[in-house]
Amino acid sequence: MKDVVISGLGVISAAGIGVATTRESMRTGARRPGPVSVFPSQLSYPVFEVARLQQDDPAPGLRTLDLARTAVLEALQDAGLLPLPDGRRVGICLGTTVASQVNDLDFYRAYRAGAPAKLDSVERYLHGNLAGALQRSLRASGPAVTVVNACSSGADAIGIARSWITAGYCDIAVAGGADEICSVPLSGFGVLGILSSAPCRPFDRDRGGLNLGEGAGVLVLETRESLESRGRSADLVLPAYGSAIDAYHLTAPHPEGVGLEAALRWALRAAAITPEDVDFVNAHGTGTMDNDLVEAATLARVFGKDVRFLSTKGITGHTLGAAGGLEAAFTALALRDGEVPASAGFATCDPQIGIHPLAQRTRVERDHAVSTSLAFGGGNAALVLRRTRERR
Amino acid sequence: MNVAGIGIVFSRGRGLDALAAALREGWRAPTWRAVTSLPGAEMPVYAVDDALLRDRAILGQMRRADRFTKMAVLAAADAVVDAGLMVAPGSTDVGIVVASGLGSHATAFRFLDEMLEFGEAAPSPTLFSRSVQNAAASHIALHLGAHGPTTTLTQFHLSFQQALLVASAWLSEGRCSHVLVGAAEECGAVMEYVCRERIRLAPDGRIEPLRFGAAPEAVPGEGSVFFVLARDRASRCYGTLEVAPAPSLDDADLVLVDSDGLTEDETPYRAVARARAVAAYSPVYGSMMTGTAFHCAAALLMLRDRLRFAVPVTENPHRLTVSLVPEPSDPGRIECIRHGCGEQVGSVRISR
Repeated sequence: MKDVVISGLGVISAAGIGVATTRESMRTGARRPGPVSVFPSQLSYPVFEVARLQQDDPAPGLRTLDLARTAVLEALQDAGLLPLPDGRRVGICLGTTVASQVNDLDFYRAYRAGAPAKLDSVERYLHGNLAGALQRSLRASGPAVTVVNACSSGADAIGIARSWITAGYCDIAVAGGADEICSVPLSGFGVLGILSSAPCRPFDRDRGGLNLGEGAGVLVLETRESLESRGRSADLVLPAYGSAIDAYHLTAPHPEGVGLEAALRWALRAAAITPEDVDFVNAHGTGTMDNDLVEAATLARVFGKDVRFLSTKGITGHTLGAAGGLEAAFTALALRDGEVPASAGFATCDPQIGIHPLAQRTRVERDHAVSTSLAFGGGNAALVLRRTRERR
Repeated sequence: MNVAGIGIVFSRGRGLDALAAALREGWRAPTWRAVTSLPGAEMPVYAVDDALLRDRAILGQMRRADRFTKMAVLAAADAVVDAGLMVAPGSTDVGIVVASGLGSHATAFRFLDEMLEFGEAAPSPTLFSRSVQNAAASHIALHLGAHGPTTTLTQFHLSFQQALLVASAWLSEGRCSHVLVGAAEECGAVMEYVCRERIRLAPDGRIEPLRFGAAPEAVPGEGSVFFVLARDRASRCYGTLEVAPAPSLDDADLVLVDSDGLTEDETPYRAVARARAVAAYSPVYGSMMTGTAFHCAAALLMLRDRLRFAVPVTENPHRLTVSLVPEPSDPGRIECIRHGCGEQVGSVRISR
């Protein structure tokens, strides 16, 4: 099996635009939720928006694409791949939720009223397919696909891109996820009763639900041969990706974490490591009662009761299709920096959960880490990352 | 990848026999439906009959699921039965890949209906959970009791080709022994309006897939087709499916063109003039971004039955070698190509 290395990282979220500012937010645990400002809303749930999102050539109405492009360009820059080199097949695999649907209320209001509904929003949708749009703008020549697996989309996109590389479908892959704050999920999660009216507190006894966020997280993956042929080395590897579905319910996780456990065990086996080799788990940790209970119990079952884990959603909010990409990038940064951030928002142990996330910054002692994602529809993804001793 | 089973639901029925009968019969006029928001306007549609979606044995536990999901679950379930595949309880050995150009948009719009009617704090939560793009894949997994890797993909015109790539990678990695891969498209009221306003509809309800013109005409269709793909060749095998890195028109015994009027310009298809023989069957099931999946089913039927179905066209302006009546044929390799937007092209190779 080919060794798939991580040669570039790009992130944008409420925690910061770019790796440098994000790293500082993770270190300090700064949380900046606030009311929705990107669209009018009567709902008062706090959200984690990206401040000052700027593009030289902003595509109107395509905020998710702007977010994705920002992270993709940073990741490619980090990998030394801008512009893309000739003769390399570069695949684009990105996950999203919002950008895969026509969620334009103005268009739909006009349609319902029988007035001529302008198709601008439909055109934007048709030109805003994340992978397709970035493939065109980057002139990338490998496969391109947009993954729409709800909240595990970003992690699944990274896993699929990894498979592309090991199968030889491309030499390099740009993979991750992106999503914007949008009125439809804000309304939908609100009526499901899983939005918190206060800053979220993943795994805390007093957690009251999730906060929506937005952003994009992207990894550049390639074979070690490809990287070394460019005169570079990598300090991060992506040894495995596990995926399994609960086959239980559309919105609730399996109470025994059947799919998550299967995904984790598959990933550990594929990476040829034991649970003891894993230093920490960057958990999905949304801050909802159900998710955190099931996820923590599963982590304890797979890794033992002393498992070190955290949720970064206390700093970014739940960024839906972006979450898996962002959290894979955060996991990579923690491995590289040798320090795991504290699980922001956590204060009090939940006796029902029995284990608790990292309450303070902690040194990384082992070389592997895992990032987990759970999704509506019952999807579960687990990415195993490893640091090496190579210098970049 | 070995094709061990096929399931299909489309405007002319359910199952491979229905597909074979439709391909033998050729073109049939579509239904003309009123366009909800355009008074007096009608448009041709190849719609799936609601009666087909009332299979209690399969859909009884998902009565509230939407049409998109029901079509996908039926096709997937039929493919599994056709393959004789037994999914052991708790098995992670069967993967699921669902491809769609436009997804379950009708449910997403119904959620917008409720947001507009009742306000953003009061829509149906059930409707929201059903509107997520991966709901169909989730229902398929629920029906089968399968816990393997499951993903839903969209890449407009090339969604199905990308799904096959994922399936191929999963099989070669040993992630699963079988992958249930398929496509689904739904033609809901809003999409009909969009089609009416945005694309050229065939005024006589007839797609002419061999015109290869700069202003092609479409007849929107809907349906779902699924394939059970196996790593190992089983006793039951229709043939093999592989995504080709680039179309290879010269080597194929037959080139299937998935031209259906949905792209703005079909002139790139003129390159198939050098192919030994050409066929196109979009007039049978309608225009769909994932039409290649339906063409793959047709190709596998031709391999199985050793015949070439007649091409249901009235025009062949580029004088391609086509069969206008069903003919015995034993093609070893069929290539199905679809052009997407711009320079995108996808190719699937179907072999015995």
